[in-house]
Amino acid sequence: MFNETPPLQPIRPRSQFHIVDEEQVRQLANGTLEVLSDTGVHCPSEKCLRIYADHGAQVDFDRQIVRIAPDLVSSSLSQAPRYYTMGARSPSHDIALDGTAMFCATDGCGIETIDFLTRERRPSCKEDIAKMARMADHLTSIGFYWPIVSAVDHPSTSPLHELDASFNNTVKHVQSETVMGEELGRYAVEMARVIAGDEETMRKRPPLSLLVCCIAPLGQDKEGMESALLFAKAGLPVGFMSMANAGTTGPASLAGTVVAGDAEIVSALVLIQMACPGAPVFHSFMPGIMHPRTGGYLATTWEGTLLYPIGVEMAHYWGVPSLAGIFATDGQVPGWQTGGDAASSLMLCALAGAETGSGLGLVESCTLLYPEEIVMDSDIYHRVRLEAAGLDTSREALALDVIKETGPRGMFLKHRHTREHLKRRQYSDLTAQTDRLNQLRDPLEVAREKANMILETHHPQPLEAAQQAEITRILAAADREIGGQR
Amino acid sequence: MNNPLPPLEPIRSAYRLQYLTDEQLDQLQEATLDILENVGVKFPSEKALQVFSAHGAEVDHNTQIVKLERDLVFKAMKSVPRYFRMAARVPEYDLQLQDGTTYFTTDGCGVQVCDMDSGKIRPSTKADVGMMARVADYLPSIGFCWPMVSAQDHGGTAPLHEIDAGWNNSVKHVQSETIMGGRDCEYAVEMATVISGSREELRRRPPLSLVVCTIAPLMQDHAGIEGAMVMAQAGIPVGFLAMPCLGTTAPATHAGAVAMGDAEIISATVLMQLISPGAPVFHSLMQAWADPRSGGYVSYARDARSRYGVVEMAHHWGMPSLGACYGTDSIEAGTWQSAAEPALDPLLAGLTSPEIVTGMGLARTYTRLYPEQIILDEDLYQRARTYLMRMEVSPETLALDVIRAVGPGGHFLGQKHTREHIRTSLVRGVTHEFDSNGKYREPREVARQRVKWILENHHPAPLEKAQQDELTRILAAADRELA
Repeated sequence: MFNETPPLQPIRPRSQFHIVDEEQVRQLANGTLEVLSDTGVHCPSEKCLRIYADHGAQVDFDRQIVRIAPDLVSSSLSQAPRYYTMGARSPSHDIALDGTAMFCATDGCGIETIDFLTRERRPSCKEDIAKMARMADHLTSIGFYWPIVSAVDHPSTSPLHELDASFNNTVKHVQSETVMGEELGRYAVEMARVIAGDEETMRKRPPLSLLVCCIAPLGQDKEGMESALLFAKAGLPVGFMSMANAGTTGPASLAGTVVAGDAEIVSALVLIQMACPGAPVFHSFMPGIMHPRTGGYLATTWEGTLLYPIGVEMAHYWGVPSLAGIFATDGQVPGWQTGGDAASSLMLCALAGAETGSGLGLVESCTLLYPEEIVMDSDIYHRVRLEAAGLDTSREALALDVIKETGPRGMFLKHRHTREHLKRRQYSDLTAQTDRLNQLRDPLEVAREKANMILETHHPQPLEAAQQAEITRILAAADREIGGQR
Repeated sequence: MNNPLPPLEPIRSAYRLQYLTDEQLDQLQEATLDILENVGVKFPSEKALQVFSAHGAEVDHNTQIVKLERDLVFKAMKSVPRYFRMAARVPEYDLQLQDGTTYFTTDGCGVQVCDMDSGKIRPSTKADVGMMARVADYLPSIGFCWPMVSAQDHGGTAPLHEIDAGWNNSVKHVQSETIMGGRDCEYAVEMATVISGSREELRRRPPLSLVVCTIAPLMQDHAGIEGAMVMAQAGIPVGFLAMPCLGTTAPATHAGAVAMGDAEIISATVLMQLISPGAPVFHSLMQAWADPRSGGYVSYARDARSRYGVVEMAHHWGMPSLGACYGTDSIEAGTWQSAAEPALDPLLAGLTSPEIVTGMGLARTYTRLYPEQIILDEDLYQRARTYLMRMEVSPETLALDVIRAVGPGGHFLGQKHTREHIRTSLVRGVTHEFDSNGKYREPREVARQRVKWILENHHPAPLEKAQQDELTRILAAADRELA
């Protein structure tokens, strides 16, 4: 017995707008091109350096610096697909990145969890990923799943255990942000092949994608780039994320941070297109701003939030889909700050036309999992989704006949139109909830209860036994090979 | 000592979102005209009915229902000024309504206060109105003041005491939402004249405006509409606020509620133009939702998508709009709900560009004042204001020379450019403040500290002694006559 996974409810904005105008985007992109051709990026992978060199980039093998001329950037990126599909275990949960909708993922890579039962703070583990995958499977706000925390209890092969926990507990697309290096990459691709069933399906409806972080300023990660190459060759989408921090690893001016971060991302996208022309890639810009007193990374600041939709605009300038920064919060606990941080960046990114975004469910600058936070973030997600959908002004919605029948001083409650439409109006299931004494309940308490209810009752379709066995075999092999080495 | 006058910080959005298409706006306007022509609106005021009759409207004096043909509506609406001035005690804070600039106010009409000293909930008083007027006077986000709570210690003349407390504690424009009835409004006009100095100056630079609620469905309030006529004739801006509740006093569809509320507003606006052509009038529609289980009033449904389309309706009619922001259903300040509900409001208001917007600072569905909430709401406002400014892209901000100098793997902290720009890149509101242990402080605690600081340190220029005396004399007369 298993539960059906509810249909996805992506954000389909009725209007779009540009947060930077064409001239500004051009200025920013020209800045990126100038940095790539004059300053270059550091790439500590011999394999990648050779690909760059073979395709005409200027490579300094000693310093591992790559400089890419503007024409080479353009010709490489012209091969990247603007639209494609990210597959899911269940075909009805495939996500088509076609420019009409925004699909959102959970946050990922958290390192600590508020325990589901004891409510004590502890290091995160594989079981947390499994539980939150089930929760994400149930929530219609979640289009695809990032393993939300780290499987700290599986140190050497944790990224693969994160995939195992994810594929076993959600039918939705899974995106890893931790599979780094060729060894892990090979096992991950093998797992994806098991989920897809065959090579052709894996390419057509890839159930797994990978996000690789660049190293600001202007650096790439050897392990990350090499696993990205493996994924791209297998037809699995790969994206590159810059987390430049204005003031420390990026210039302290916003435009400068955009340029520095964008150059990192574009240099990696170019490499993938050189190695695998036409490979599905995506662009992700999630910078922070330095706290002037501590130098710390701040995810949500008044001005910094603007950088997320600007990242979306840059992705589209380069002709690739975007993974937008949403729901990041520096709030320490679910509360006023986490509630106030989320909605505007999500709305701005949706209106800018983001195809995907991450992510819901963590606090403390994307490091701490409160199980109920994803439920609260989902509430905000749906507010934005409905707001962005525009207004229905059909004859039925205008209800003129009903208004005429009711007239001045009348009451609409008894009208059939009211009964039919009041059911369709969407209310929060966290706020305006009353207890037995008819007192309003605390939405945080309601969210905790809802999270527990989902975990008790939602059990998505499991993997077939043969798939489970195969995944377990792959994991065991990886544990032996990689776990033994490290 | 009086405090200086820091410049106001309205939202000046670099972007505009068209929420409703031109076709949808026409559909909604047609629906309004259909309702006005075929259903009509009840005006329980003999004076108003006579004005309508005299101008050719179809008036049923028994049912008090007025039906307006479209030609009459358009003719009357033609004289509504698209923009006008809402003046302040000091000219620096005059609000010249204009395209692309949005001024916010406080919320108003609260009835309970969480006492700053005891932390207990108690009925609101005139002193609370004065206290919050001082806070509003200080905040650059607040362009004009609504008396935030009711002066319940002054019974029948509470509305006049509220504007007295407003002018005595703020140099900004005051907008009342409670002065109802012809006589009350005559006293209010007299008080406003004291602030302006003369009737001519009052008309030129009105320091007071009035919001009057319509009664859904399709009805006007006797005292409200009679008071509005007095104000309009004196040149004081008046606005009509429809508050249809989906499912009880309005159809359960957004478009139906908008069309019906719009008809209420437009019928009142037409009356103002008939009695005083060219009178400054603004449009405001704030719908709510009936809780299907209790019939209770829900200010924030999850699907609140018609909150900002109505701004475009106002503009489609050629009128300024009083947009609706804030007013959380949370019973406490500083909660997740009190941020999650209004967080989008100032952003979407900025994108649709109403000229004026209410209102920061109340919880429990506009009824309870926590003094620190205005600071928390202001934080959300300032975020939106910042998001809607165009990012500067220039050689200085692109910083290509700095990027070149730092290079791959370097660090920007040592750069002069970083030292110069980091201060403006990070603007802190109530978040990201440290305690003595280096931990982030709770935003509500920071807000509470700020509001206390404002009350201790901010003292706006008082009214001249003669003006104070004159207001006191008028209030005493009103108390004798009306209380």
